[in-house]
Formats: sequence, C-alpha cells, structure tokens
Amino acid sequence: MAHINEAPILHKGVAVNDAAASGITSRDIRLSAANLSIAFIAIMVGGIAGLLQGLVRSGFLELPSWISYYALLTAHGVMFILVLTSFFSIGYLYAGTSRVLGGLADKTIAFGWAGFALMSVGTVMAAFFILTGNANVLYTFYTPMQAHPWFYVGLALIVVGILLNCVGMFITYQSWRKRNPGKLTPLFAFFANAVFVLWVFASLFIAVFVVGMVIPWAFGWVPTIDPMMGRTLFWAFGHTLVNIWMLTAISAWYVSMPKIIGGKVFSDSLARVAVVILVVANVPGGFHHQILDPGLSVELKFLHVIQTFMIIFPSLMTAFAMLATMERAGRAKGVRSLLGWWKTLPWSDARFFALIVAMFAFIPAGLGGIINASNQINQVVHNSIWVTGHLHLTVGTTVMLTFFGISYWLIPYLSGRRMTQTINRLAVIQTIVWAGGMLLMSGAMHINGLLGSPRRTANTTYNGSSAAADWAMYETLMAMGGVILVIGMALLLYIWAQLAFFAPKGDADFPIGEDYSPSDASPLFMDRWSIWVALATVSIAIAYVIPLIDFASGTNPGSPPFLMP
Amino acid sequence: MKNAPRDTNKNRNHTDSAETSLKGTFTSVLIIAVFMLISWFSVFILFLERN
Ligand code: HEM
Ligand SMILES: [Cu+2]
Repeated sequence: MAHINEAPILHKGVAVNDAAASGITSRDIRLSAANLSIAFIAIMVGGIAGLLQGLVRSGFLELPSWISYYALLTAHGVMFILVLTSFFSIGYLYAGTSRVLGGLADKTIAFGWAGFALMSVGTVMAAFFILTGNANVLYTFYTPMQAHPWFYVGLALIVVGILLNCVGMFITYQSWRKRNPGKLTPLFAFFANAVFVLWVFASLFIAVFVVGMVIPWAFGWVPTIDPMMGRTLFWAFGHTLVNIWMLTAISAWYVSMPKIIGGKVFSDSLARVAVVILVVANVPGGFHHQILDPGLSVELKFLHVIQTFMIIFPSLMTAFAMLATMERAGRAKGVRSLLGWWKTLPWSDARFFALIVAMFAFIPAGLGGIINASNQINQVVHNSIWVTGHLHLTVGTTVMLTFFGISYWLIPYLSGRRMTQTINRLAVIQTIVWAGGMLLMSGAMHINGLLGSPRRTANTTYNGSSAAADWAMYETLMAMGGVILVIGMALLLYIWAQLAFFAPKGDADFPIGEDYSPSDASPLFMDRWSIWVALATVSIAIAYVIPLIDFASGTNPGSPPFLMP
Repeated sequence: MKNAPRDTNKNRNHTDSAETSLKGTFTSVLIIAVFMLISWFSVFILFLERN
C-alpha cells in the first residue's frame, strides 16, 4: 500500500506475531467471506428499515396497512444488533486469527461452516416472521409479548450457530498453544479468544431463556411465563453482547491501528489486562437496563451499578493507550510540541480515519452510558429516545465505523485486491457522511429524550399536547440524519463491492502491530483462560444467583401470552 | 530500552526521553475528563430540577 503514508518504523520492537505465516489459505478466506456477505445483506435490510422509521416518526411518511412500525423496528434491531454484528465479528476474528496463528485448524473450519449454516438458516427464519408481521416483539422480545413460535426457533439457531463458532475458535487457539509451549499467544488471538469466551457466557443465558422457557410457552406447552425472568436473562445476554462488540472493535484499535500509523503497540500487558477486566467483570451489570424494573431489590441494583462502573476502567485504559500510541508515533517522527503529534497522524488513510472517528464517538457514547447507568439520573432518560440516541453512538457509530475501517483492510486482504486512491478517498467521505448523519440523528434523539419523547413509538401528536409539539423540530433533524445515513450506507456497500470484486489485484496486508518494548510483554499466565473463566463465573454468580433463584422459586405470578398485531 | 545503561550514549538518551514523553496524552486525557464531568453534572442538575 504505497499510496498510504506509512512512516518508517523507528523502534526496533519484537514482532507480536513472529510465528505467523503471512498470507491466508483459500479455505480460511471462503469462511470469512461467507460471514461477511451476510453482514452485507443485513446492513441493507436494517438500513432501509431505519430510514423508514425515521421518516414515520417525523410524520413524513405513513406506512401501508400491511406493515407495522413495530415490524420495521424489530427488523432494524435484529438485523443490526444480532445479525450484522455477529457475522461481521466472526468473519473478522477468524481471518485475523488465521493471520496471526498461521491458519485455522481443520476442525475449526468444520465448526465454522456448521455454525455459519445454522446462523444463516436462523436469520432467514427470523427475518421471514418479522417481515410478515408475525414477530412484532422488537429485538429484545420481552415476554409476555409473543411472536410466532418459529421466530424463536430461528433465534435459537442463531445462538447455537454462534456457540459452534466459539468451539471453532477455541480449537485453533488451544492447538497453537500446544504447538508453541512457553510462548505468549499473539495479542490479536488473545482478543479473539476473549470475544468468543464472552459469547459463550452470553449465549448460555439466552439459550436457557429461548429454548428452556420461551419456545415451550410459544408453542403452548406451558401456559404462562414470568416476565421478570425474561427481562433478567435477556439483559444478562444483551449487556454482554454490547461488550462483545466493544472488545471486537478495540482489538483493531489496539492491534492494527499502531501498525497503520507507523507506530507500535503501546503495551501488550496493558491491553491484556483491559481484555481480562472486560471478560471477568462485564457480564454482571445487566440490571442497569432494568433500573426501573420492579421485583429486583435495591441492593442488587446497587451491586449491578457498581459492576457496571467497573467497565469504565478498561474504557479509560483504552483511551489512554490509544492516545499514548499516537503520541509516541508522532514523537518518533520528531514532533516536539505538546499536541503537535495529532497533526502527523495519517488522516487521509481511510483505515485510520474511520478508526479515529470511531474513537472520538466513543467519548460521548461512553459518557452517555455512565449517565444511563447512574441510578437516579437514569430516571431522566429511561425509555426515552435519548437511549436510542445513545446506542446509535455506541454500536451505530463507534462499533460500526470501526467495523467499516476494518473492512477497508479485511476485504482486500481476503479478495487479494487493493484499495486504490479513489476507493480510499471514497471511504474517507463515507466516514464523514456516516459520522455526520449519526451526529445529527443521535444528537436530535438525545435532546428529544431529555424533552421527554419516548423511544419505540411511531408518530403521534398525543392529542395535540404542547410538550409533544416541542419534539417536532428535532424529529425532522432525526429524519434528515437518517437520509444522510442511508447515503452513507449506499457508499459503504459500493466500496465493499469494489473491494471484493472489482478493485485491481494487489497484496493488501492485515496490519498487525509490534510491541513498543519487549519488556512490556505479559507474563505467560495471562494465556491461562481457566483462571479468567473461573473468575468470571464467580462474578456472574454473585450478580445473578440470588435474583434467578428468587424468580425460579415461583413467587411471581406468570403471564399468559399477549399477541402483538 | 529499560535495560540500556543510561549514561553510555548521551545523544540517544536525549531522543529517548523526547520520544517517550506522554505530556500530550496527559493533556488530552484531562480534556476528556473535563468534558465527562461537565456532561454528567448537567444531566444530574436536570434530575435535581425535575425532582
Ligand atoms: C441507516 C442508518 C440508521 C437509521 C436511519 C436508524 C434509525 C433508527 C430509528 C429511527 C430508530 C427508532 C427509534 C424508536 O422508535 O424507538 C432506531 C432504533 C434502533 N437502531 Fe437504528 N438507525 C440506523 C442505524 C443503526 C445501526 C447501524 C444500528 C446498530 C448497529 C442501529 C441500532 C438500533 C437499535 C438497537 C434500535 C432500537 C430498537 C428498539 O428500540 O427496539 N441502528 N434506529
Ligand atoms: Cu448494558
């Protein structure tokens, strides 16, 4: 990639991945590419639904009678949150792991394809029932709202498919460790393994819920269901999912970004400690989505709030490590002034630009999270469209822009093509358009939320209430943001198609950073996942054993189904 | 780098300390911190007012 200004590497570090074979086998390529192609379709469906929602909410559009606002909103949530993020992460993490561990194991390929097949079938089933109006239950599918039973079977297939992918990842990771005794696993593989460990924890909660409770109830085998059980199990899953995305995204910040800017990984051990905190402390915390739920004691909510705030540590460590990486890269180029190194960063390289904009978006995004999780302040924003604004900053901007940035090296790496000047420039524009659209849409959502506008509601004037009238202007801004975003989406899909099929042949690399200083390498025990899994299990038990036993003991009356037209 | 004897090469030492300076990082982190505090307290004040 000669056109991209990579600075000469000044420090002599130790290659993080010196065991890695360069290049990637075609069977590894096929598996990753298959996963990415589903992500491509999910963006299209989810994006169109999002645009329509924005237009409906602001009164620019009335939906035909055969489709409900809630069908769209469910499609939007499921496609983006469950389908796109999962398939993209798997495609990316498998490819990167193949790169740093010298290829995926035979069994990993088998598990990968089996998982891919289940996830794809599950996605098609879920999408079918959503779009035919038989699953207007939103992506959270809170019971006792009830969808078509086969919709839940589709969801279950997606989850089982993800679990198979987890097994696949563990096989390659552990077989590398066996072949390389006494060696630290490459940082990227450590990230990838952590993501899949979290996925196991998350999936277990949702699998118990969907398979053990919702499916029997939806088919009518059991008459009632405890709504609190559903909300609690869903958010044990949902909150973990959020950190699965974050961990996937920051793997690129920690490992690839330094290489792209011509710098070094600031500290291998800092990175691994951040990962371990996320794995150990993250699953508990789900109650910050349930701060106003009845039936959970104040003490338990307090515990979850504390556990939630533990996630602030790895976030701040990441902010520090990223800034330090960039400052050192600049200083290595001879910058002396306090903040002059900001100017030496490769702003015109789309791979970097998308990542840095994502990082900037994470500042207000993470901050919004602290506000949401603060027990009292939560009441100001709870169930208002502020929350939707917040999640468009976190997953919609920070995670998505990072994924887009990743795709600018991942797709050429897989397709054996290269990013031309023109595509690179287009990708920079894409980043600006997407970030601008999100800023407008999410900013308007934040303000309207503070003014009391609820989330998950189609257009209504609330009988001409004056409070509701105040929202109109921001709803228009929100819709404008949506239009800009869909332009950004079209640009992205065009770039992806170019990179996959039409760009000139080349040998794009998957950038993997080297350590700044070998003395910062982690001690070997960091690779012993049994320790982290055991600690995570303890912290999950502290948070969830009491409430779940409480619900299971059956003091709450169950609820019959409510069908959602 | 840590193990390099500090006084063997003056010139190298000089570049080293310039290269490893993290003053800009510190400043940037402080800017973020101020922004976070301001935002959190604005919503907190909103909460107090609406109570
Ligand atoms: C094409 C750009 C997008 C547009 C125009 C858009 C627009 C919207 C709108 C208008 C809502 C509905 C708010 C409500 O009634 O409560 C919404 C909800 C949501 N969006 Fe987006 N969005 C976009 C992209 C994304 C992305 C990329 C993600 C995640 C990766 C995402 C995740 C969500 C989620 C999780 C919800 C909440 C769904 C629910 O409450 O059930 N959106 N979006
Ligand atoms: Cu959460």
